[in-house]
Amino acid sequence: MEIPASTVSTCLPLAHRLRRAALVALLLGLWAPAKIVWEQRIAHEQDVLRYGGAPMTLHLRDQLGQGLTIGVLSGMRSVVADFVWLSVTTSWMTEDWWQMGAEINLCTALQPRAPVFWDMGGWHLAWNASIAAMEDHTQPNPLRRLKASRFWIDRGRDIYLRGIENNPTNWQLWRDTALLYDQRLKDFRTAAYYYQKASEQPNAPIYLERFSAIMYNKVHANDDLSAYVAWKALWERLTPEERQMKQHEGDRIEKEIRGLEQKLSIPKEKRVFPN
Amino acid sequence: MISALYRILTIGRNTLTEAVRQKVLNVLLIFSIVLVGCSVLVSQLATPGLDSAGLFDAQIKFVKDFGCGAIGLFGFFIALLSTAQLIPQELHNRTIYTILAKPVRRSEFLLGKFLGVVLLLALCVALMSLAFAATLYWQELQGLQATKAAYTADPHWQSNPVVVNLYNHDVASIHQQTRDPQIIEAILLIFAKLIMTSAIALLISTFATSSIFTIVTTFMIYLIGHMEGTARAFWLANGAHVSLWQSGLVGFVSLLIPDMNSFTIVDEILAGNKVPWSHAFNLLGYADVYLIVLLAVSIVIFDYREI
Amino acid sequence: MNAEINGQLLWPSATRTNKLSGPSELHRRPACGGYRSQKNGSGRSLTLQNFPLGKRPAFDKISTMESSAPVAAAFAAETIGLTKRYPLTWKRKVLVALDHLDLLIKPGEVFGLLGPNGSGKSTTIKLLLGLIVPSEGEARVFGLPPDSIEARRRVGFLPENPYFYGFLNGDETLRFYGKLCGVNGPRLDQRIEELIDLVNLQNGRERPLRSYSKGMLQRIGLAQALIHDPDLLFLDEPTAGVDPLGSAQIRDLILKLKKMGKTVIFSSHLLEQVQEVADRVAIFSLGKKVLEGSLDSLLTENKGTQINLPADLSAEQQQRVLAAIGQAGIGASEGDIRFTRPHLSLEQLYLRTVQGKIGSTTQEPDRK
Repeated sequence: MEIPASTVSTCLPLAHRLRRAALVALLLGLWAPAKIVWEQRIAHEQDVLRYGGAPMTLHLRDQLGQGLTIGVLSGMRSVVADFVWLSVTTSWMTEDWWQMGAEINLCTALQPRAPVFWDMGGWHLAWNASIAAMEDHTQPNPLRRLKASRFWIDRGRDIYLRGIENNPTNWQLWRDTALLYDQRLKDFRTAAYYYQKASEQPNAPIYLERFSAIMYNKVHANDDLSAYVAWKALWERLTPEERQMKQHEGDRIEKEIRGLEQKLSIPKEKRVFPN
Repeated sequence: MISALYRILTIGRNTLTEAVRQKVLNVLLIFSIVLVGCSVLVSQLATPGLDSAGLFDAQIKFVKDFGCGAIGLFGFFIALLSTAQLIPQELHNRTIYTILAKPVRRSEFLLGKFLGVVLLLALCVALMSLAFAATLYWQELQGLQATKAAYTADPHWQSNPVVVNLYNHDVASIHQQTRDPQIIEAILLIFAKLIMTSAIALLISTFATSSIFTIVTTFMIYLIGHMEGTARAFWLANGAHVSLWQSGLVGFVSLLIPDMNSFTIVDEILAGNKVPWSHAFNLLGYADVYLIVLLAVSIVIFDYREI
Repeated sequence: MNAEINGQLLWPSATRTNKLSGPSELHRRPACGGYRSQKNGSGRSLTLQNFPLGKRPAFDKISTMESSAPVAAAFAAETIGLTKRYPLTWKRKVLVALDHLDLLIKPGEVFGLLGPNGSGKSTTIKLLLGLIVPSEGEARVFGLPPDSIEARRRVGFLPENPYFYGFLNGDETLRFYGKLCGVNGPRLDQRIEELIDLVNLQNGRERPLRSYSKGMLQRIGLAQALIHDPDLLFLDEPTAGVDPLGSAQIRDLILKLKKMGKTVIFSSHLLEQVQEVADRVAIFSLGKKVLEGSLDSLLTENKGTQINLPADLSAEQQQRVLAAIGQAGIGASEGDIRFTRPHLSLEQLYLRTVQGKIGSTTQEPDRK
């Protein structure tokens, strides 16, 4: 039987409905401030862990396009970054260096704490792109080719340095920077510095500790004094047991020090190996 | 209390049985396992024609990201679809009448149904994780093989201690990436995120009139949840400088929508960065408490719902 | 399924007038003026003091119902001013599904709810099961709120349509509902065997319910309603869509349950079947209870006498009977008195035929 709505007050008792609303409000009201506090704590911890990634700005969104933006927004940031990386490989194979550079920037912006993007991105720019520019004979002027090559080396170096900023304890990025100064820029002193920093990072391979000193041998004016200081510092850092170990090449270190002490005529009382 | 738990468990097992006997979910699960396996192929795409020993890092990153991404994505679909039709199906088929005519409380019914979905998700994530472990193992074998091949090019390599040291270092690096115990942490966090998604869908379904509404709304909350951190920071920082309407909207998001983006710490774990277990437990605790709140509100709303 | 009384398959005769039941006083409620939900200080319960009494009908198994004990314990189900309204938002109207229902059902009764579709029968059952909340008024089951766990432990429900899980087989279904009712272990196993035998579902126990016929679904429904041996059973259209043999079996089961002291409340459109099993009925229309009482009292005509003779009377014999009646000074004219042959109901004929009690099916009773 249907009757007009105005003749009755409710279909459910008022107390019944009020009770429901009150309970829900109470539960959410108690939880909401606790939620905010807890989330702030989690966010702070994650900042300390240096987790980040560029905020989803319009600029980033334009670069990604709609589909990938949804992917990032739904928490698939790393997968999206990997997808974009596929196009880096493609651009490298088609030798579209500007496109490749932009995509490397995008990947590193999406996932700055993935060392592999910085590592390989810098390699692509400072080696592949720069060598291609050097051998690009569509540009007849060799000086212009050199300038272009140097441009890509600088881009690569920027990538490595920003990578180090985001991943300061990653030995590979320090090593890559040293390699760049060593092989591409021939700046052996700076290379020595970066090799030294690389060897100080956790999990760094042992051989890196010698590379810093070796760089001084390659300095154009043969900076024997700096080399001696570096070899001596290395010798003093090693324990007696480590000096005996084959991987530390104690014999070689001793040979280098003896040779340099001779060459520099270090007074016997100040020598590491007076005999 | 014990009898209530027993009833919840009975309903939970029944829900799991129903889900397992449904063909749609089986297809979704098989597809997801296949996709996890295919992550290996994608990793080959990333480094075509290059020496795989030297580029193992890039390949393993792809395998991990795609594998866990597939677990997260398919787990999301399974969580959403199975939860969204949990209550509407019972109401539509009226099977809820027969159950509630028994000495079963509405809260026990709801918790039992949710338990069934949790068990289903646990099963699916476990199976997908096994597939993922298999792909990691396969990738490890490939990496070790390629590394060995690169070194054995020099027949006297084993007599040079420096080279041996380098080889051991490379092998250790491979093992460190494929046998990283932090991967378990990552999968636990993915699972927690799926459970939260499911709880949100359950809450909405307690008052929604159709599954479609539940699915769409949950998906939107899921997306907005990834921006909740930004909204919260904005709301806390900008007291008086914005209009009441803007403040209200941002405040609503901050106060009620969960911070889904905090779970993307999984990307950090998979990239090899150290994320301590204390942080993971902090996140898991947050998810647990949020789950309890969502379930409590769901129970209140459902208790008063006309069926 | 065998349910016999005195060695023969049970169906009462078509008419009830020859059945002598005790003093059959009409147990009528005052129309529309009875029980509103009067909330006094304590609020709720209906006591014998404010219950207008006539002589109460006698029931076989009920001993000392009339006492000063609180009515809450004495009734299997009771409603006081029970009302249910549904909003029809788009029409700006309200649907009154049940309008101030007052009902008292004693333990051990078989109570029938009759009425056309949409008259409030299913709504009454759902309110008494605690599945829906009343807009006004109150319902109680064994003195307890219907949505309480304690009340539902004593209640079984056979829904109108098979509201069961199609992916479970017969065994799994009974096991599932049994566990929900707190029956488990060996007792549950035993109970399942008993009920499968009772409802004759041995063939279907391993098959999923989605492959069951309507009759099988009703039978499994009955089995799950009985799994925890409840004291009160709600049967919503128990014989709807079931063939006559099956519905006779269900009817026999209801009578058997009554013999066991259980209370049965059922709704049905099949009036003849209701007539055969119910002790009391209530007739609903448009959400209101229009009539209520025992079948004897409701169906007995106020005036007149019917005599059944086992022999045929010739025309001459009929005249002599008429003369004798005339001499008895009853004051009835010849035109008021009719001689007819007793009739079987169609159902009785069908059952006899199907169960092989009559050899030939061509015989037709004479009609006058």
